[in-house]
Amino acid sequence: MAETVIEVQNISKVYKLGQIGSGSLRRDLNNWWKTSVIKKDDPYFLSGNNAPASDYHLWALKDISFEVKQGDALGIIGSNGSGKSTLLKIISRIVKPTSGLVRGTGKVSSILEVGTGFHPELTGRENIYISGYTLGMTKSEIQRKFDEIVDFSGIEKFLDTPIKRYSSGMYVRLAFAVVAHLEPDILIVDEVLAVGDADFQKKCLGKMRDVSQKEGRTVLFVSHFMQAINNLCVNALWLKQGQLMEFGECSAVVNKYLSSVQKFNLKQSWDNIEEAPGNELIRFKKVEIVPQIENADGPLDIRVPLTIKFKFWNFTDDVSLAIGLHLFTYGGECIFDNQSPSAYYNKGLIEGECTIPGNFLNDGSYFISIIVNRDTSIELFYFEECMSFDLEDYRGEIKWYGKWMGAVRPRFPFHIEQTTFNLE
Amino acid sequence: MSLSEKKVKWVIDSKSSYFDLNIKELVSYHHLLLRLVKKEFLINYQQTLLGPLWVLFQPIVTTVTYVFVFNNVIGVSIGGNLPPVLFYFTGIVLWNFFNDSFSAASKIFRDNMHIFSKVYFPRLIVPFALIITQFLRFLIQLGLLIIILAYFMIFEGFKVTFTWYLVALPLVLFIVGMLSLSTGLLFSIVTAKYRDLTNFVDILIRVLLFITPVIYPLAAVKPQIRWVVQLNPLTPLFELFRLGLLGQGTISIPLLSYGIIFTLASLFAAILLFNKQGGKLIDVI
Repeated sequence: MAETVIEVQNISKVYKLGQIGSGSLRRDLNNWWKTSVIKKDDPYFLSGNNAPASDYHLWALKDISFEVKQGDALGIIGSNGSGKSTLLKIISRIVKPTSGLVRGTGKVSSILEVGTGFHPELTGRENIYISGYTLGMTKSEIQRKFDEIVDFSGIEKFLDTPIKRYSSGMYVRLAFAVVAHLEPDILIVDEVLAVGDADFQKKCLGKMRDVSQKEGRTVLFVSHFMQAINNLCVNALWLKQGQLMEFGECSAVVNKYLSSVQKFNLKQSWDNIEEAPGNELIRFKKVEIVPQIENADGPLDIRVPLTIKFKFWNFTDDVSLAIGLHLFTYGGECIFDNQSPSAYYNKGLIEGECTIPGNFLNDGSYFISIIVNRDTSIELFYFEECMSFDLEDYRGEIKWYGKWMGAVRPRFPFHIEQTTFNLE
Repeated sequence: MSLSEKKVKWVIDSKSSYFDLNIKELVSYHHLLLRLVKKEFLINYQQTLLGPLWVLFQPIVTTVTYVFVFNNVIGVSIGGNLPPVLFYFTGIVLWNFFNDSFSAASKIFRDNMHIFSKVYFPRLIVPFALIITQFLRFLIQLGLLIIILAYFMIFEGFKVTFTWYLVALPLVLFIVGMLSLSTGLLFSIVTAKYRDLTNFVDILIRVLLFITPVIYPLAAVKPQIRWVVQLNPLTPLFELFRLGLLGQGTISIPLLSYGIIFTLASLFAAILLFNKQGGKLIDVI
C-alpha cells in the first residue's frame, strides 16, 4: 500500500466577518487587553468546536481530516464557498488554519492561478525566471526546463518582448507552461481550467494526467468540471459549507455530490381543486418528471430518459383538447414544442404522459411548460415553467472536456467506410 | 497507514511563533531574491528615455533647489568652508536611501498581496530584495557624490582631511538600511491592518525630514531645542556620514550608541512581528 504523504487532522478555519480585523483599533486593543493581559477569554472569538454560532464568524472549514497517499490524485469538489480554496490555501501554507494540523512529506507546489509573479513590463524570458523562482523552482531546474517551457508555450519569437504586448492566449500559455514544468512531489491545482480556451484546457488536463499517472506524483485538484475530476482523479473529497461530506472513490463521491446539487422541481401536485393552478376551464392536479433510472440516488445525466406525467381536471364536456409540452433551456430558448394530437374529452380528470428519450438533450438546465389548447389553437391554460431539471454531462470514454455544443446531443447513427486505398 | 513521525518534513498548524526564522529555507530562495532586485530595476527603467539616469536626476534637482532655497534665500548656516552643493547633496543621498527604503517597506503587504495570497515562499525575501534594490540605487547616487567631491577637491581647492571616520561609513549605511527596513516593516504590518494609518506614515516621513540633519548641520541647531533632533535615531548617522565624507559633523559616542541600539531593537521587533503576523495578515487584507 502506498505511503501517506499528506495528513490533514481536524483542520478548521474561521473568518471574522464584517470589517477588517475585528473592526477597529479600539476593539483590537480591548481584545488584546482582555486576552493577553488579564487572560480572559477572547470576547470576540472562541476557538474549537464549541464556538457559538455567531454572526461574526464564518466557518470556512470545520474539522476536516483526511489522508492523501503517494501517487494519489485527489479531486476536491463542492459548490462555491464550500471551502475548497481555503483548504488548498492551508495546505499550500498561504493561510494559517484556525485550529488543526497538516503534516506532510515532500516538496509542495501550488498553482492557485496561472501567471503568479508575472509582471507585464518584463519580457517572456524574464518572467519565466521570476515566476519559476516564485513557485519554488531551483536555478538548475529552470535552466534545464527553459527550452521545454518555451516550446510548450509556443512563444519563442516573442521571448524578448514584454508580456504586456502578448495576446491573452499567449499569456496564459506561457503562464501554464511554467507551472506545467514544476517538479514537486505534491502538486496542488485550483481551477486552472477556468481560464483559456478549449484547446488550452485540453492541454492542461493532458499535462495533469501525465503528472499524476505517468510520473506518479500526488495531485490535489479543485475543479467544477466533474468530467475532468472523474477522468483524472482516483479519490474525491466533497466539501459542503466547510464540512466534509464524503471522502472516497472518485465516481461515487462525484455522483453523490451531483445528485445533491441538482436543482429540480420534478414534481408538483395539488389535492384541493380550488387551490390548483388553472382557471374555470382547466385545473392541474399533478405534474411530474419520472427519470427512467435504475439507481434512484444517481445524478440525472444525459443518458436518462425522462417521462413527463400530468393530470388535470377538465370542466367542459365534449371538448377537443390538445396538449403541448414546451422545453426551454434556462436561457429561455425553446428547444421543442411537442403537440399531442387533438381528441375529444368530457368533464373529469385527464391523465397523460410523454417521454423524452435518453441521449437526446445536451447537458444543462431545462424547464418545461405545459399548454392545453382547444381545437388545436385556442389556449385554455398555459402552465408556465411548472417543472425544471438539470442534466449532467456524461461522456464515458471520450477524453475531451470542452463544453459540448448544441441544445441537443442526439446520437444519430453514422455510416462511414473507406472506399479506396489510394490517393488519386 | 498514517504518516510516521520520522517521515514528516513539514507541519502546518494554527500557531504562529515569533521565533520561526528558517534561515536554511531563506537561503534556498536566494535566486528569487536576486531576480526580484533585477525586476525592480527592469520595470523602473524599461521604456524610459533616460533609464537609470533618473536615479541621479532626482537628487540633482533636489540639491539645486535646496541650495537655492536654504542657502541663498533663507541663508541657513552650514558652517565651515563647506561648499553648499556638497553639504546638501550628501544629506539628500542618504535621506533618499532611508526614505525610499522606508516607504517601499511600509507598503510591502499592500503591494504584494496578489502574490502573497497565491503562492508560498518565505515572505522575508521581499523586504530583503527591496533593501538591496534601494542600496544599489544609493550606490549609484554615492558614485555621483564622489565625483562631485573629487571635482571640488581638484578644481575648487576644497580640502578634506580623511580621518578614521571614513572607515565607519559602511557601518552607517548598514544601520540606515536596517533602520529603514525595520521601521518600514513595522509600519507595513500596522497599515495592512489599519489602512488609514498610511496617511500617518506619509506625514511622519515629512516631519522626520525636518528633524533630521539633512538641510542643516546638528551644530547649527540651538542648544535648547537640540534634544528634539537628537531624539531622532537618524541624527547621529547623518552626522557621522558627513563627518566621514566631508570632514564635518557633530558626533558623540552616546548619541551613536543610541542610534545603533534603536536600530537593533526595531530590527528585532520587525522580524519577530513579521514572522508572527505575516501568516495572519493574509486574512485581513
